[in-house]
Amino acid sequence: MKRYIFLAVIFGLIWCFVHGIININNFILGLIFAPFIIRPFKPLYHFERDFSISRGIKKLPAMARYFYVLIKEIIIANIVVAKIVLQPKIDIKPGIIAVPIRTKTDLGITAIANTITLTPGTLTIDMSDDRSVLYVHAIDASDPEAVAESIRDDLEKYVLEAFE
Amino acid sequence: MISMFTLAIIIMVLAIIPCIYRIIKGPTIPDRVIALDAMTTVIVVMLGVYSFDQGSVFFMDVALVLSIIAFVGTVTIAKYLDEGVVL
Amino acid sequence: MTLIETALDLLSNAFLLIGLFFVFLGMLGLVRLPDVYNRLHTTTKIGTLGAFGVMLSLLLKVGFSPIGVKAITVGLFLLLTAPIAAHMISRAAHRHGVGLCDESVIDEYGKVYTRDRKEQE
Repeated sequence: MKRYIFLAVIFGLIWCFVHGIININNFILGLIFAPFIIRPFKPLYHFERDFSISRGIKKLPAMARYFYVLIKEIIIANIVVAKIVLQPKIDIKPGIIAVPIRTKTDLGITAIANTITLTPGTLTIDMSDDRSVLYVHAIDASDPEAVAESIRDDLEKYVLEAFE
Repeated sequence: MISMFTLAIIIMVLAIIPCIYRIIKGPTIPDRVIALDAMTTVIVVMLGVYSFDQGSVFFMDVALVLSIIAFVGTVTIAKYLDEGVVL
Repeated sequence: MTLIETALDLLSNAFLLIGLFFVFLGMLGLVRLPDVYNRLHTTTKIGTLGAFGVMLSLLLKVGFSPIGVKAITVGLFLLLTAPIAAHMISRAAHRHGVGLCDESVIDEYGKVYTRDRKEQE
């Protein structure tokens, strides 16, 4: 029941943003229709897991730090790739690298994979079957150890704090 | 003196030309899919700027629906290439 | 016109120009870079952030009116879905048999899934 209310609030906010006018009427409309949307797709929302809002609130500072790092890395990524595109002669050493990860939950793995794709010069391709290794395409793979190390130290630390 | 709006549309039309080149020339199927996906992004940006210029909110709805359709289409083609079935 | 309005106008115009430039650069990368995976780098990173910049500039121009709110929704949606689409299409390309370009130095993924396929047979 608590899960329904939490998801319904999120659905109400999404409906406000899609409708274009943010006011209390639209929010309540989204709130009322949310259970009818959640009910048929119940397996997608993992109702069997334990769920607590207070633990989520405790993680808010870590999440804020994670989003700060993410925005900074996205801007650096764009400048790096823009420089490569604007070079008069393309000189790159791409390659696919196996990067071991420590995150275990679905949300954590999704977050780290999307973060890797949006950060400088790396792109997630696949995950191994035992969910411990990500295969990452790097635009500069001349030093595979350094790429894996930068992912582990710079990004995974914040994802572990925010989503685990 | 051309307006900001005209400049934006000109740059976006210039940005579509490489996409069309890649769609026609692209050596493999994934190349063409990426080019189509990128072209949709450009068209979404064009629709956004056009919506602001016309002062009409309906073009923004078109942009939102187009971005959703592009995402679903790309995922569907990727699944088809990978497994040979769509569902 | 107050000072804040002038500043917002200048900021939104700057975001618009930067966004348009980045989108154009991403599409240029589609032609210049050698293989599928490198092209994905440009379209997912530069193209998406450019589109988000344009949408942010529209939000700054019109404030929280329907156009601005929908613009930022489109921008956030693009930012959320571009990595997923890139991941799906690159995995499909690699399994479909699209090789890496000649400049590539390392491929640790190819060995793994060819081994999996042999075990299945």
